[in-house]
Amino acid sequence: MSWRKLRFGWLDALILAVVAGLVGYVFYRAQSHFHYSWDWRLIPGYFVRHDPERGWILNLLGQGFLATVRLALWGGLLAAAIGGVMGLCRISGSLFLRLLGRSYVELVRNTPPLVFIFIFYFFLSGQLMPVLDVESRIARASPETLQVLALLFGQPDLLPNFLSGLICLALFEGAYVAEIVRAGIESIPRGQWEGAAALGLPPRPTLAKIILPQALRAVVPPLAGQFISLIKDSALISLISIQELTFAGTELAVSSGRVFEVWLTVAALYFLLCFGLARLFRRLEWRLARRRDR
Amino acid sequence: MPDPAGRRASDDRRRRWRTACDGLAFLAVLVGSGWLLYAGASELQYNWQWYRVPQYLGRFEGGEFRAGPLLRGLGVTLELTGWSLLLTVVFGLAAALSQRSASWAGHALARVYVEIVRNTPMLVQLYLVYFVLAPILGMDRFVAAVLALALFEGAFAAEIFRAGIEAIPRGQWEAADALGLSRYAVYRRVILPQAVRLVLPPLTGLAVSLIKHSALVSVIAVADLTTEGRNLIADTFMTFELWFTVAALYLALTTSLSMLASWLERRLPLRGVGNG
Repeated sequence: MSWRKLRFGWLDALILAVVAGLVGYVFYRAQSHFHYSWDWRLIPGYFVRHDPERGWILNLLGQGFLATVRLALWGGLLAAAIGGVMGLCRISGSLFLRLLGRSYVELVRNTPPLVFIFIFYFFLSGQLMPVLDVESRIARASPETLQVLALLFGQPDLLPNFLSGLICLALFEGAYVAEIVRAGIESIPRGQWEGAAALGLPPRPTLAKIILPQALRAVVPPLAGQFISLIKDSALISLISIQELTFAGTELAVSSGRVFEVWLTVAALYFLLCFGLARLFRRLEWRLARRRDR
Repeated sequence: MPDPAGRRASDDRRRRWRTACDGLAFLAVLVGSGWLLYAGASELQYNWQWYRVPQYLGRFEGGEFRAGPLLRGLGVTLELTGWSLLLTVVFGLAAALSQRSASWAGHALARVYVEIVRNTPMLVQLYLVYFVLAPILGMDRFVAAVLALALFEGAFAAEIFRAGIEAIPRGQWEAADALGLSRYAVYRRVILPQAVRLVLPPLTGLAVSLIKHSALVSVIAVADLTTEGRNLIADTFMTFELWFTVAALYLALTTSLSMLASWLERRLPLRGVGNG
């Protein structure tokens, strides 16, 4: 659509009228039937608050937002590792590895995220965390280590919980990454494999030196999209009591009673994060494409 | 990795041997993970009670079949998915058409809708609809769940419809214009009937993801399959048995839908598209 052709037609008028009518009706109902008094003044205080002893500190929403960013970063790295390995398994020459990759991907993609997360959380927190002995390790850690841990993963006493949620999320997203990796490798024309074989290159170096560098280019845009999906799916982790943004929203909505304002703010925060990243990725992609063309 | 071309026939037996080995190794992994699960559970003093599961699916009473909570939950999930799918198609088609229309307001509205839905988590949207919109408009939770699901999937359906419409060759538009058809008639008689065939496979994928996302409405206590499963677990503490049963039911539902989709695809050949 170019702005030159901007004309105000009857369809525009109709659509604007319908939208205005709907929004107006919702606000009218909120006032007249629900007697809701909007009060946005409290919201900034939920991000940062002033503590008499420690100065300005993050409040629930701020901490939650930070936890979501941490989950996204670590979860993204872990999901990329799992997905990379599983994606390579999916196209491997060995039937065993193919079966392994296939069952992982199908299992994850055909169960609801919620059910998957509940089942795995039960396992991870019940079995893996005691095996890794995370809790006593934290108890024994020095204050400096704890500080580093707090910076990287949030409050150390919640670390086992955070790790369980993180692994759940990464296992879940890994299946989608695996499919992206597989599709990327399969998008490389057969001629590349055949050419390498004709030059006497064995399959493994062919994959590493010829196929993967080309596949990387095809894989980056969908991976960026999957990263944004990961941020959105991280909201699910709130249901197993990992204290990220949605969890903070649930707590605040109950404790403060400012239900409408809190949920609108939480939604806006997610939107800013995801939309901002999407724009950033699109820009980077565009610049990369332009550099390649030159 | 594709094998280098020209593999000799004498390798055939070796290859078959390797296939068998791989199959066995995979079986071993399956058995191994099953054993790990079992061992882990017995370490927790877990009491397996698979025999109690069938009664929650349904039972015969006096020669009559009565559905148990799990099957009733499955019914609610299907009902929820059906209504949402219907509404999803409406939202998606409306968004796709207004994005293609000459109206800038329609274009902007569709754009804002798609961007908001795509850049916020489904769970937060569900909370927004259920905690903010539902009390204002006086919706019950089932309606709120259907609306939230449909709003969410509608944004993805919009892309599917847009792609389907744009895949129709230009010649079809031009021919319809040359015949003097109105814009409505072009869509109704020429474009949409052809686009349906293109749109069907991705739309089934959407239906599958709708079934999976419908599990989320257990958060607002709509009595779907997941909610029934969670309630039963709270009552009986049969965590593993019930979650596995619930997951298997979802798996059966999504796989049969995928199979239906590929059957439909074979039945409806691509006609006229691509050579216009």
